[in-house]
Amino acid sequence: MAWEDIVTSTALPAPPTFLARVRTFVATPRFARILSLVLFFAAWQFVVPLLPTRLIPLPAKVLGFMWDEVLGNTLGRTTVWEAFGISLARLGIGFGLAFVIGVPIGLLMGVSRAVENFFHDFVVVGLAMPSLVWALLTGVWFGLGTGLIAGAPIITVVLAALPFVIINTFEGVRDVPRELSDMASAYNVSRTKVMRHVTIPSLMPFFFASLRYGLANGWKGLVLAEVFAATSGAGWNIKYWYDAHRAQGVIGYALFFILFALFVERIVFQRFSKRVFKWRPEIETVAEPGAGLAQLEAEQLVTIGADGGIAI
Amino acid sequence: MSTTEAAPERLQESHLRRELRTRWIPRIAGYVGFLAVWTWASGRLVEAFLLPSPLAILKEMWEIIESGLFSVHFFATLQKIAIGYSIAFVLGTAVGIIMARRWWDGFFREWVVSILTTPGLIFALLAALIFGFSPVGPIVAIVVTSFPFVTVNVAEGVKALPKDLFDMARAFRIGEVRRLRHVVIPFLAPYLFTALRYGFSVAWKIATLTELFGSSTGIGFMMRREFQLFNITAMLAWIFFFFAFALLLEKVLLQRGIKRFFRWRQESVVT
Repeated sequence: MAWEDIVTSTALPAPPTFLARVRTFVATPRFARILSLVLFFAAWQFVVPLLPTRLIPLPAKVLGFMWDEVLGNTLGRTTVWEAFGISLARLGIGFGLAFVIGVPIGLLMGVSRAVENFFHDFVVVGLAMPSLVWALLTGVWFGLGTGLIAGAPIITVVLAALPFVIINTFEGVRDVPRELSDMASAYNVSRTKVMRHVTIPSLMPFFFASLRYGLANGWKGLVLAEVFAATSGAGWNIKYWYDAHRAQGVIGYALFFILFALFVERIVFQRFSKRVFKWRPEIETVAEPGAGLAQLEAEQLVTIGADGGIAI
Repeated sequence: MSTTEAAPERLQESHLRRELRTRWIPRIAGYVGFLAVWTWASGRLVEAFLLPSPLAILKEMWEIIESGLFSVHFFATLQKIAIGYSIAFVLGTAVGIIMARRWWDGFFREWVVSILTTPGLIFALLAALIFGFSPVGPIVAIVVTSFPFVTVNVAEGVKALPKDLFDMARAFRIGEVRRLRHVVIPFLAPYLFTALRYGFSVAWKIATLTELFGSSTGIGFMMRREFQLFNITAMLAWIFFFFAFALLLEKVLLQRGIKRFFRWRQESVVT
């Protein structure tokens, strides 16, 4: 009798009841994530109408606007696809120019102390410069650009991205491991081989950083420059809806911008950095002040400029 | 004997000279060259009204200060930042403390990340659209954009709280209040100050940006006005004020305050 009791007690536990399973699901962060989204839309739908303003459209109206934009029938001059296409083309041209100008300066700064001191303070000021300043200045200097190749937006991108390209190239040259190049010269390794196996791999993370920070800062500057000094592009479109007093347009575009940012940060950059840094071990983040943002950054969620400066 | 005594001196002298040659001369050459090219270009290469010389801008800045416009707009911006950022800091700290738990992390994370990645322009336009020209718009924009920076840092600090000190405090029967005063707050202080600094660097930029669209006072409003009047000298003068303002607040007030707070430490953690 006694041993039969033991057998039954060590038998498999009864499958969890439905209620218990719901309870464990409610305790997961995934449920919290879904709940926060649902609560947000619920508040938007049911609390906003009670507010003493008629300027905030309901979610259905905004989503309808976004759906129309995506399908391509818009009341604006360009659809969201064309607008983002124009802006991305400008971003590409501007960043390309910044890269072509910035990399030689960064290389020279890394090689010579005199050149480093000549440029250093200007680069630091450039890193801290809000891109708003560039947008306004290029606006008055180059005027309204009408075509795709508009002066002010493209030059804003160049100016906003340039300091990030320079500083990262400079840091990269500084970081080429000395003992590896010494060893290469001791073993008579040819120059092209050194370039291929030592210099470029150690510069790679820095080029990648300049790409990320430069593009992020350039993008924010570009959007502002398009507001003040262009007649097309994503920034211009949001201003268009603002001027037309169509709140659903502004909010819809705000959501497009958020979706775009999430797409670029999470999918494009994450894939890209995984491919580029396959050879590298995982980065460990330590808990210290400021590590929270660094952690988000390491997870490719947020782009923070050098020195913790966040470009707005 | 005399040569060996003189040697370190000479070494030091040559070190100084080298320092001068590689550091100070190029640096000064950079500044002088920049100002010289600027002054020369103004009026010769480009029209003076398009690129005013540095002296003209300084004169304009002095005139703005003398006319009293500066203090009016300076304090208008400062007030918005003070109110908005205080709210953002309290809210961000509260959310950060609960975000140290995984469930609440899931609840807030998407929002924090979305706000961190969205261009500030969008919040500025939305605030201007909804609140019009009232000062509430800039304040709301400051709260929304700067609180995630506070939250992320505070959450990180709470997650890293030293468990062993808590255990020891319990073993020695230290009360809740004293534990808060002697363990939690000193430990969190550097995180709070980092949060303060990050958040602030966002707050002043978004404040001016919001003033560009929906305000009738403040440094941002004046920049916009001179932009529309095509008065480049005055616009540059206000841009320089904008910089001076940020430098003053960030480097002087905040950093000095932080140093004061951490006097009791052997070495400052917050740099």
